[in-house]
Amino acid sequence: MDILFLLIPLSVALGLLILGALGWAVWRGQFDSLEPEAERILQSD
Amino acid sequence: MQSAVLTPPADPQAAAVAALDEPAEWQAFSRAVAGGDGLWESYLAIEGMYCPACSLAVEQALARNPGVRSVQVNGATATARIVWSPGPARPSHWFTALKRAGYAGLPAGDLLTAAPRIHAQRLLLWRWLVAGFCMMQVMMYALPAYLAQPGDITPDVQALLGWASWILTLPVLVFSCRPFFQSAWRDLRRLRIGMDVPVALGILIAFGASTAASFEPQGGFGGQVWYDSITMFVFFLLSGRLLEQRLRDRTAGALEALVRRLPDTVLRRNGEGEFERVATRRLVAGDRVRVLPGEIFPADGTVLAGDSRVDEGLLTGESHPVLRLKGNAVVAGSHNLSGPLVVAVERTGAQTRFSAIVALMERASLDKPQLAQLADRIATPFLAAVLLASIGAAAWWWSAGPAHALGVAVAVLIVTCPCALSLATPAASLAAAGALARRGVLVRRLQALESCAELDTVVFDKTGTLTEHCVRVTRVQAREGTTEQETLAAAAALACHSLHPASMAVAAAAGPAAWVASQVEEIAGSGMRGNVTGPGGWERQPMRLGSASFCEIAQGQSGVAKQVHLTDAHGWLATFELDEALRADAAAAVGALQQLNLRVQLLSGDQIAAVRRLAQRAGIDSCWGRQSPEDKLAHVRRLQQGFHRVAMVGDGMNDGPVLASADVSIAVGQAVPLAQARSDFLILGGQLRAVPALLQHARKTRAVVRQNLAWAAAYNALCVPLAVAGWMPPWAAGLGMAASSLAVVLNSTRLAKVQGED
Repeated sequence: MDILFLLIPLSVALGLLILGALGWAVWRGQFDSLEPEAERILQSD
Repeated sequence: MQSAVLTPPADPQAAAVAALDEPAEWQAFSRAVAGGDGLWESYLAIEGMYCPACSLAVEQALARNPGVRSVQVNGATATARIVWSPGPARPSHWFTALKRAGYAGLPAGDLLTAAPRIHAQRLLLWRWLVAGFCMMQVMMYALPAYLAQPGDITPDVQALLGWASWILTLPVLVFSCRPFFQSAWRDLRRLRIGMDVPVALGILIAFGASTAASFEPQGGFGGQVWYDSITMFVFFLLSGRLLEQRLRDRTAGALEALVRRLPDTVLRRNGEGEFERVATRRLVAGDRVRVLPGEIFPADGTVLAGDSRVDEGLLTGESHPVLRLKGNAVVAGSHNLSGPLVVAVERTGAQTRFSAIVALMERASLDKPQLAQLADRIATPFLAAVLLASIGAAAWWWSAGPAHALGVAVAVLIVTCPCALSLATPAASLAAAGALARRGVLVRRLQALESCAELDTVVFDKTGTLTEHCVRVTRVQAREGTTEQETLAAAAALACHSLHPASMAVAAAAGPAAWVASQVEEIAGSGMRGNVTGPGGWERQPMRLGSASFCEIAQGQSGVAKQVHLTDAHGWLATFELDEALRADAAAAVGALQQLNLRVQLLSGDQIAAVRRLAQRAGIDSCWGRQSPEDKLAHVRRLQQGFHRVAMVGDGMNDGPVLASADVSIAVGQAVPLAQARSDFLILGGQLRAVPALLQHARKTRAVVRQNLAWAAAYNALCVPLAVAGWMPPWAAGLGMAASSLAVVLNSTRLAKVQGED
């Protein structure tokens, strides 16, 4: 059970970290227009 | 297909584009990136993008230039954002690179103003993501408390889980809930009760009670925590807002596509007869401009030379390109597709039809339907009652323990959903108006959409409404040994030099052809003469086109229709019969209206026989001829006294009083002076098919509005008593409230597409 005292704070920290990454992606404009990204795979080079 | 079309002569343009390398020029469509170490961002509007794959090609073409750090192309709005450093970069290279790739780039300074909208979109998305992510995480911490038997979890682990939930709820409360708190505070400061007041209050009480319970389990608020309910509630609430924002942006998208349409520069003929590139805003009436294929017309005007196909889709809803010949009118904002045209500018800036359309759409979107006003009026007393009910419920339940009492109060506060009630009508009518605008129907009063659904009679005017304003060649009789096509082409060679309606009808019937006429002379009121040469063995010879007396031939049989004759050196060559042209889709539109169980009638000031003939062709049973404007007005009044709901379809110019007295007025036709038109709806491009589509869509809108209102009312009537009675835990209240707003918005999105759209 004692391991919970490490794991739960760790999961909180990890959650905040992921949140930060999401925010970075949003403000870089990665979600502004999603259609061209789907077409990217058809690109020749 | 598009790239083949764009082959403009480069020289005058290259010079104009090179000017963009001057800092003073490129700063008009660029700005420094905030905190970007001297980087700049620029916005370009891209013309010629018709598919998502195009955006990749554009992106590549731009990214290869020196100094360009990153390129983002938005396919939906046909715009590109370029981040670049001014040292090595030359903005002019972008435009030439785009041209090489087959597209036309335009500096889009106005996109800088769109930046706040993009910022708002990102902010809401970010709030939503924070709420969603934290919700999932908090659920995990909450799970053990639901599954464990009493005593399974030691108090210190429970405290730990409480701490973890509290930390992850904090970003939701502080960041994601901000819009609710802000608007609640704004309302409270003005001593009003807005929709966000109970929401904000509910969230705050729930969070406060949960915090107290987590950090002091033995305290006065009991041990109940609601972190999971709070995060879930906020997440669903923001989901509704996100959807609503998307819906609004899509409606606004149709408008914005219009607003951004005019080019920034244009080729104008100067004093020496050469074309030079100037800013569009410097154009004045009387200027001659050359519009290359792929370009947008900068102003309303008349074609002086050349012929081309023109896409007027955004302005008229007409999906097929239309042919524009010498003498035809072109409108600002339409797209030149196939050939260079020289255009005499007639109206610029705010006087153009294009500007009138934009202004109309902007005004209509501010209009608030009656039902929505009613919902807004009900909202305030309703919300006050809710606040009182929650206080009462909390007081009533206080004896059963403060935790339970607070839970009931929170449930009452957040279960009520005036949002669904006040969203019900505007969301639906806005979605419908956006969809109709894309179909070429401008809604001038959102209010009229409601009355539109009640109609049972549609009255058409004839000239300019069921028929086109111009006449059309209906029959060709040609001399033996010649074909109809040949005689038409020969006649058109003469006719294209005249602006007489009959000449224009002949020219339009022939289309572009290789026949040429020289020494053309127009004898006003009689006809045209000149020397005509054509391919296929036709030698140059004098020809005459006009009335029988002018052509010196015997008057043909006196028919119903107007006739024009063509003669050459050997005498009579052909006779063209002209008649008022029934719009191509008139019969189909009338049929569709009758299928909607609407009575269709025709009123006209024309001769009774002519009206009856036309009514027959259009499939209309009841028609009245020789009607003065007063007669028409009396007719509509009579119908209304018989408790009929009447829609009047006119050309918007001649029938002012009738249009005003009908329950719903619809103006059809290209000639409508938009600013003066007094009708509720404007159908651009004269497509009568849009009339049944409009009425059908209005009925669907009414159905959706009723569903929305019924749903919102039933939901509140059921859930508020349940919550007051204490049978609804806060999580269920949050879920119910968010789901009911979501249902209303989603139901409204069904209206974003008009049935029968291509």
